[in-house]
Amino acid sequence: MSGESHFIEFSKPFIDAAKNVFETMVFTTLETQKPIMKNDSVSRGDVSAILGLSGELEKNGSKCQYKAMLVVSFPYDTYFKVASAMLGEAYTAYVPDIKDLGGEIVNMIMGNAKRDLKTMGYSSNMAIPSMIEGKDHSINYPTGTHVVLIPFKSTHGPIYMEICYSETE
Amino acid sequence: MALKADIKILVVDDMSTMRKIIKNMLSQIGFTNISEADDGATAWPMIENAIKEGRPYEFIVSDWNMPQLSGLDLLKNVRSTPGLEKLPFLMITAEAEQGNVVIAVKAGVSNFIVKPFSAQVLKEKIDKIFK
Repeated sequence: MSGESHFIEFSKPFIDAAKNVFETMVFTTLETQKPIMKNDSVSRGDVSAILGLSGELEKNGSKCQYKAMLVVSFPYDTYFKVASAMLGEAYTAYVPDIKDLGGEIVNMIMGNAKRDLKTMGYSSNMAIPSMIEGKDHSINYPTGTHVVLIPFKSTHGPIYMEICYSETE
Repeated sequence: MALKADIKILVVDDMSTMRKIIKNMLSQIGFTNISEADDGATAWPMIENAIKEGRPYEFIVSDWNMPQLSGLDLLKNVRSTPGLEKLPFLMITAEAEQGNVVIAVKAGVSNFIVKPFSAQVLKEKIDKIFK
């Protein structure tokens, strides 16, 4: 299998994990929309939480290194509604109280996905989450990675998950 | 709630939003005496001072991954301190790997919870610890 075909199987645990995290902690279900390959670096949201992942894939007796990145982006209104649901207070601005919320969400998604990835042959080391905020902000993807954008519908508004992935021998 | 509501609890997590979520859940369950620390390194002197003041913490809820002193190292400090060998200690982690559970159990954790979790799951874990 090529890195590109691994990319498809690699993405699935993140979709399952995101649904689990949002259902348990945000009290909303995510409805998956059609994924698209992304060819630009502009975020579809106003607030993005980013988490890097790297490790080794062992499959059918062969091994390779991989690097990946998970991005979850929210329009401001969605982010405030998600924060309000999770923290039990009404938020209408990007205040310090909610600045690490996106980081905690990607941390939980990645942590859950890691368990399934392990059963698929991926060992993985998680980085520390970071946040970017602002209209039309750019995301700095690792060079040589493919990026898939998976939009979700939720009762709090649209949420955009991006997964980028590449393999090296 | 079988446990007394004012049991002295310390919530340890480097993410302020997660501390808030856990505190909200503990309040929902019925607990009223909840303090917080933003790292294991902040929590440890609080635990030591509480002993010196004669009002020790009765329950620790700690994240695993923290930048200065991890939840695992905090647990090891607690377990190696005379009088704290049996202090109820609930570990919270985002990483749902079996290996982590084994490591935490060996270090003497009272129970283990994987994010994401609901208030109901937190209550069930607490009930098991204190039964």
